[in-house]
Amino acid sequence: PLPSVSPAADPAVISPQDPTLLIGSSLVATCTVSPESHLRAEDLYWTLNGRRLPATSYTTLGPTTLSVALTRLNGSKQQSGDNLVCHSRDGGILAGSCLYVGLPPEKPVNITCWSKNMKDLTCKWAPGNEGETFLHTNYTLKYKLRWYGRDNTCQEYHTAGPYSCRIPKDLALFTPYEIWVEASNRMGVAVSDVVMLDILDVVTTDPPPDVHVSRVGDLEDQLSVRWSSPPALKDFLFQAKYQIQYRVEDSSEWKVVDDVGNQTSCRLAGLRPGTVYFVQVRCNPYGIYGSKKAGIWSDWSNPTAASTPRSERAAGGCDPKGGEQNTTLRRELKQFFGWVKKHAYGCSNLGIKLYDQWRVWLQKSHKARNQVGKDPST
Amino acid sequence: PAGDSWGIFTFLCAALCNLPALPALNCSEELGTSQSIQKTYDLTRYLEHQLRTLAGTYLNYLGPPFNEPDFNPPRLARAERVPSATVDLDLWRGLTDNARLAANYRAYSRLLCYLRALDGQAGTAELRHRLGHFCSSLQGLVLSIAGVMSSLGYPLPAGPVGPPAPPGTAVAPNDFLKKMDDFWLLKELQTWLWRSAKDFNRLKKKVPPAVVTLRLEARGF
Repeated sequence: PLPSVSPAADPAVISPQDPTLLIGSSLVATCTVSPESHLRAEDLYWTLNGRRLPATSYTTLGPTTLSVALTRLNGSKQQSGDNLVCHSRDGGILAGSCLYVGLPPEKPVNITCWSKNMKDLTCKWAPGNEGETFLHTNYTLKYKLRWYGRDNTCQEYHTAGPYSCRIPKDLALFTPYEIWVEASNRMGVAVSDVVMLDILDVVTTDPPPDVHVSRVGDLEDQLSVRWSSPPALKDFLFQAKYQIQYRVEDSSEWKVVDDVGNQTSCRLAGLRPGTVYFVQVRCNPYGIYGSKKAGIWSDWSNPTAASTPRSERAAGGCDPKGGEQNTTLRRELKQFFGWVKKHAYGCSNLGIKLYDQWRVWLQKSHKARNQVGKDPST
Repeated sequence: PAGDSWGIFTFLCAALCNLPALPALNCSEELGTSQSIQKTYDLTRYLEHQLRTLAGTYLNYLGPPFNEPDFNPPRLARAERVPSATVDLDLWRGLTDNARLAANYRAYSRLLCYLRALDGQAGTAELRHRLGHFCSSLQGLVLSIAGVMSSLGYPLPAGPVGPPAPPGTAVAPNDFLKKMDDFWLLKELQTWLWRSAKDFNRLKKKVPPAVVTLRLEARGF
């Protein structure tokens, strides 16, 4: 059918228009057609979200008014509201009403905050009760300084995920903040518990810059790590704490060095020779401005790679594990021939001779390998 | 044809610029109007593509029946605030270049305003992000059309390019009617982009091909 331009007056009126309802409640809606449309109640039908509602739920209230009864409503199919529509017999839309069916919000929980270099304060929270209210829910972060009357509202949202906000400037030190989150939707408001914090207790900083990892001379089981103090707080980090984590190239298991203290260098020991390691460092601005508490760990620095020197005593080839294999093999062979010596009477002479000759050969080739140096021998 | 002249031009420029004996030369060319028209045409195709995804997401947010393929609501009088692309064929054919461009410029300026006014709280962050991106691209189209008009010597259409808002119909009186307005806005945007592709194709054929100007500025030459 061609779209028709309806008269200036609305062809029909629905009541209630755009109501807000609690999940599980019931509703009776009416559609009254205007006299100009020349339609009657029996020419009308209802749909909800595009699906026709059964005629058994209709009641004619007057010559131009048809009502529909909806019971035990589920949460709205979309946050823009369920579409309840009054149609004329040929399917044309006469009027519509958006139903907002949902729940009031729950108290937001788990408010955590951190301050980057004492320049800003970012907080994140979680919606109460998994957050499914079926309605669009607005979150507002509010804060005030303790002992000062004025409430402030955070403006920059979603800086660290969907439930987060950032206060970018004018932070006060030495006075605690009171922080809370208000959740509101069409059905009501819920306010979180108030969190009290001191900026100095939640300071974090950038990862340490200039991380260098280098060998320690020829030592094959050590690497030396050096870094700089994060520049933004470098004048205050007298008691900073650092942590190092490292792993071998092909492993995902990190080893953490915890007791680095506040030096800006550290030596890793007990490493495997001839192996590539990835190293990261992070910083905690512990005890800033005399705070007795630990701050918040920075992110890890970008991984820096370095390799330990290869041991020269290893079987001259490219496989660092070659040396180990040889020693195990020798040990086993030794044990075998030892056993043969003990238990094989007839052939024992042959066994012993063979064994001794083999040992002599082994020693000769070992000496030769050492003299030749890096040449891979058979 | 165009290909040959471009080739010759490039060769000349390279040859002249590489001769060490000559003092420094500046080679520059001007973008032909036909290239601006081509660029505008390309923009309408790009926007049409973007709109498909945006409209799909937005209509899903509005919910059924708005996102049903055969949805055909009445065009209420109030919905005529949105400029319609639909036009009589002979009328369309007979448009002067100026009128054709002006119609496009006015339509997209108004459509951009209405799009920007779409509920800032609408839907997910992803939907709002898509909307923002589309508005930026649409702004680019408006500027591109303005560029074509000025390069052809036509004045930009005067008067307010925002929604004229006749009294009483400024904002939709209820949420359902607002959803209908949103539906028609997206529909008209789609129709306009289809039409504009044809408008700019037509303009491309009428405007002379790129005029290449070689400007040599030699110091002391």
